[in-house]
Amino acid sequence: MYLEQLHLKNFRNYTHASLQFSKHVNIFIGNNAHGKTNLLESIYFLALARSHRTNKDNELILFNKKNAYISGDLFLRGQKVALEIMLSDRGKQAKSNHLERKKLSDYIGTMNVIMFAPEDLELVKGSPAIRRNFIDRELGQMDKIYLYHVSQYQQILKLRNEYLKQLRQKKAHDTLYLDILTEQLAAEGAEVLARRLVFTHQLEKWAQPILADISRQKETLAINYQSSLPSSEALLENEEENTITMALNEAFLNAYRKIQAKEIEQGTTTIGPHRDDLSFFVNGQNVQNFGSQGQQRTTSLSVKLAEIELMKEQTGEYPILLLDDVLSELDDQRQTHLLYSIQKKVQTFLTTTSIEGVHTKLLQSPKLFEIENGQILSENYLEKGQIREKR
Amino acid sequence: MYYPEPLSKLMDSFMKLPGIGEKTAARLAFYVVSMREEDVTHFARHLISAKRDLNYCKICGNLTAQEICSVCSDTSRDRSLILVVEHPKDVIAMEKIQEYHGFYHVLGGVLSPVEGTGPEDINVPSLLKRLQNEEVTEVILAMNANVEGEATATYLSRLIKPAGIKVTRLAHGLSVGSDIEYANEVTLMKAIEGRTEI
Ligand SMILES: Nc1ncnc2c1ncn2[C@@H]1O[C@H](COP(=O)(O)OP(=O)(O)OP(=O)(O)O)[C@@H](O)[C@H]1O
Ligand SMILES: [Mg+2]
Ligand SMILES: [Zn+2]
Repeated sequence: MYLEQLHLKNFRNYTHASLQFSKHVNIFIGNNAHGKTNLLESIYFLALARSHRTNKDNELILFNKKNAYISGDLFLRGQKVALEIMLSDRGKQAKSNHLERKKLSDYIGTMNVIMFAPEDLELVKGSPAIRRNFIDRELGQMDKIYLYHVSQYQQILKLRNEYLKQLRQKKAHDTLYLDILTEQLAAEGAEVLARRLVFTHQLEKWAQPILADISRQKETLAINYQSSLPSSEALLENEEENTITMALNEAFLNAYRKIQAKEIEQGTTTIGPHRDDLSFFVNGQNVQNFGSQGQQRTTSLSVKLAEIELMKEQTGEYPILLLDDVLSELDDQRQTHLLYSIQKKVQTFLTTTSIEGVHTKLLQSPKLFEIENGQILSENYLEKGQIREKR
Repeated sequence: MYYPEPLSKLMDSFMKLPGIGEKTAARLAFYVVSMREEDVTHFARHLISAKRDLNYCKICGNLTAQEICSVCSDTSRDRSLILVVEHPKDVIAMEKIQEYHGFYHVLGGVLSPVEGTGPEDINVPSLLKRLQNEEVTEVILAMNANVEGEATATYLSRLIKPAGIKVTRLAHGLSVGSDIEYANEVTLMKAIEGRTEI
């Protein structure tokens, strides 16, 4: 898929902007704080109806304005799909193919994007919540049913935690109601966990050859899903695909039964997907604890690149790749690998403050947009060697 | 310029209603001033009467101007069926389709630890008492299909089933997370036909 054009009105520091994109690589170049990330954010927003860096939609509207408007033409399997989102202080209205989608979940999923920002280099190093968010976001884009189960799970979890607290404080006594919440939580937890386990295996499958390649076959990668439910990995190996969810449901029920007294004492739910994590191993060692900075970066990069392939496998189309300031963070070899693997198949948008940090000679005539203070100063295709002459 | 005091007081009252902000309140208040005096008097009287003359039915918990509501006092209805709903407005939605001829029980809410609502805070005890005395053979649960509604329905079915009464759940046809109030009549009818035992 690729985005052919983008129109912005009152989005961040853009009063008006219209851009025509290359199917391949598009480069936003400009000094700090002039609006490069804002452009990537608007593309991300057009795809997912939310920002990658804030939960407050209001921040996206140009200061002192009431509405923002983002629209674009996406090409998907040779068909044009018009996407548009109106954003105001009262909420947002999304249309695809000129039809309003009342539920945002019906809108999301047409356009797939993967964002890679310097923070993502933290995927390996950061807190477990970062990795859970990563799974929810990426899996949610490919699988709407997953999103539904995650949201059900979270609602039940909130009720159950509150009720456990009341049982602890002896404000409530009825364990029948706890049993019911436990059954509902186990059922949704099983749906979420089953999908996450499968996702992790697929991610590993795609990331392994990528890491091997970047490290010139010196390193091997393993990705493990660390479940708070004992022995869930073993279940995955022994069960048929259609009985995994049932087996996990059963396992959750048993586990909750065993620790019921303890959970009441603590007043909170201690087992479930909300307590899980991912671990990355390079040559058998946990990269989070023992990896060098370089290994941590290479692992993050491999995972991101694996996601591109995974999404292609799941949806039949390559997603759109958004690279915010990451090229300058990668050494020559990693950058070469990245640019080489997206070449020609993935429409890419990248930001940079200077073209020197980008191996443009690896790119087939990228399109360059010069950004200054919320305006597009110029847009043109770069032919080979042109950059050198310009500077 | 400020609103004259009687007008701003009226606006303040309108703003106590759900979904009404200052702009709408001002528009409504100005409109009231332009209405005929007789209509305004009626309006005020109806407001007070709606509050003062209504209470909850002693049997089913529905809103009524009598002690016992019109459904509960209708002897031609099927005494073997009780349909359990969250709110009085759900009774009205159900009565509109004229497909259901049993009795109702209005909980006045759902179980919710977050809201601090337990079984004693909604009409669960009165429902269980009714089931002991009456010749009911089937209880139909028609809570909304959200997380709290599901948990409440399951809770009730666990309490009722041991008494040998059939329990069915009105869920099919209602979209997930939807409120009964908004379901259109066709889906409600399908929902009644497709009720399932739980
Ligand atoms: N709602 C808004 N209305 C107007 N301007 C805004 C709004 N939100 C952010 N900005 C402005 O946008 C600019 C930041 O843009 P952006 O984050 O895209 O910078 P950048 O070009 O990516 O910079 P860097 O190279 O430092 O990452 C800031 O000048 C900020 O004041
Ligand atoms: Mg930036
Ligand atoms: Zn009654």
